[in-house]
Amino acid sequence: MAQPITTPVLAPGTRYRWDKVRSQHQLVFPEGMIVLNEPGRAIVQLCDGRTTDELIAALKEQFPGAEPDDDVHEFLGHLAQRGLVREGAPRD
Amino acid sequence: MTDNPLPRPLALLAEVTYRCPLQCPYCSNPLELNKYRDELDTETWTRVFNEAADLGVVQLHLSGGEPLVRRDILDLVRAAAGAGLYSNMSTGATVVDGKRLEELREAGLDHFQVSVLDTLPESNDRLAGTPSFDKKREAVLGAKRLGFPVTLNVVLHRQNLDRIGEVMALAQEWRVDRLELAHTQYTGWAFKNRAALMPTREQLDRAHAEVERVRAAGTDGLDIQHVLPDYYFERYPKACLQGWGMVSMSVAPDGYVLPCQTAREIPGLEFPNVRDHSLEEIWERAPIFQRFRGTDWMPEPCRSCDRREIDFGGCRCQAFLMTGDVTATDPICELSPHHHLVAEALKEAQQGDPPLVYRVMPRDAGAA
Repeated sequence: MAQPITTPVLAPGTRYRWDKVRSQHQLVFPEGMIVLNEPGRAIVQLCDGRTTDELIAALKEQFPGAEPDDDVHEFLGHLAQRGLVREGAPRD
Repeated sequence: MTDNPLPRPLALLAEVTYRCPLQCPYCSNPLELNKYRDELDTETWTRVFNEAADLGVVQLHLSGGEPLVRRDILDLVRAAAGAGLYSNMSTGATVVDGKRLEELREAGLDHFQVSVLDTLPESNDRLAGTPSFDKKREAVLGAKRLGFPVTLNVVLHRQNLDRIGEVMALAQEWRVDRLELAHTQYTGWAFKNRAALMPTREQLDRAHAEVERVRAAGTDGLDIQHVLPDYYFERYPKACLQGWGMVSMSVAPDGYVLPCQTAREIPGLEFPNVRDHSLEEIWERAPIFQRFRGTDWMPEPCRSCDRREIDFGGCRCQAFLMTGDVTATDPICELSPHHHLVAEALKEAQQGDPPLVYRVMPRDAGAA
């Protein structure tokens, strides 16, 4: 099993997009697209160079009362497996 | 099926030119290239991209021919980005240097896809009809340095399939993100060259095992797409286009709008043009998009088949090329009354190596 990501960033060519025609949040990438729900959108838009812990803290501010830790790790793991999110921290 | 609301297209293939410095003998462009010389101008393509975005298109594929021979290619990429489309470019990458790559990046191109014909430079150059391997290598490495996601696309056939292991090694050496191992689709020039390109069953079995071996060993982030060719491996046809007029549309260099880029070779079909109509009008109302949409058009054995909304009767172009009847069930299907044509084509392909017919286009054709 891969290491959990400490600093998630979107892979090159992967980007968030608002689809005005379908009123959907989308993550688009070469030859594909996934539709994001609202928490998914929030997570993806926080993949901006901050650490996973900082990302979770920011989510808790956006969604007071939520305990998103496990969901965030699972979602980022899923995106990483599909090559859409990468480790942004410099390797030792 | 017909009661459901019409879906909106997700993908637009923009074949911005049929001009190309390469002469690949399996090109999906029409055989009579010289008939289609009148290319759309920058302004019209820009309008088409905006209309596509309004219609719901997400992915734009800038293709050809060689899209990079258009003098206005940077304007076209900017127009795609301006319309909010995700832009992919499929290129032979022989007419691009580091400066042009940077300009494409700057203009907003999202994804760079390069064709390589073989891992042996001399075989690549022979198949392309022109020295091109080293230029392709330079372009791939240059695009990676700039941070583009890069896909390598290798069309597979009898003459290169035994090197599928080397193809995967090359993709890893060049550190591309995706590798498309694309078995030849027998339409366009490839249908003409089918007897020379069709691999043997033994070659395919070895190739399949090699892909599985490499995948099992781990590919370090390289995404390998490998779809086995339908002539050998399928009892049922592929769901061509995910259904005619359901997900995607193509615009040819001269503005004709096609449900599929190879459909213009089917005689008797009439195609609308973006010079006369908006994309939305065409998608919703053009007779050609209605023609094979859904299941009402189907003859038997498709009409009463449980799989009619799984494979939609297969590929219309393949049905026409093999049987002469565009409404026939795709002969790949074992239920097709024409299924014996598949075995006959495979047998013909084992009779030795006929010479390849290379894609040729008069040098003065077209203008951008």
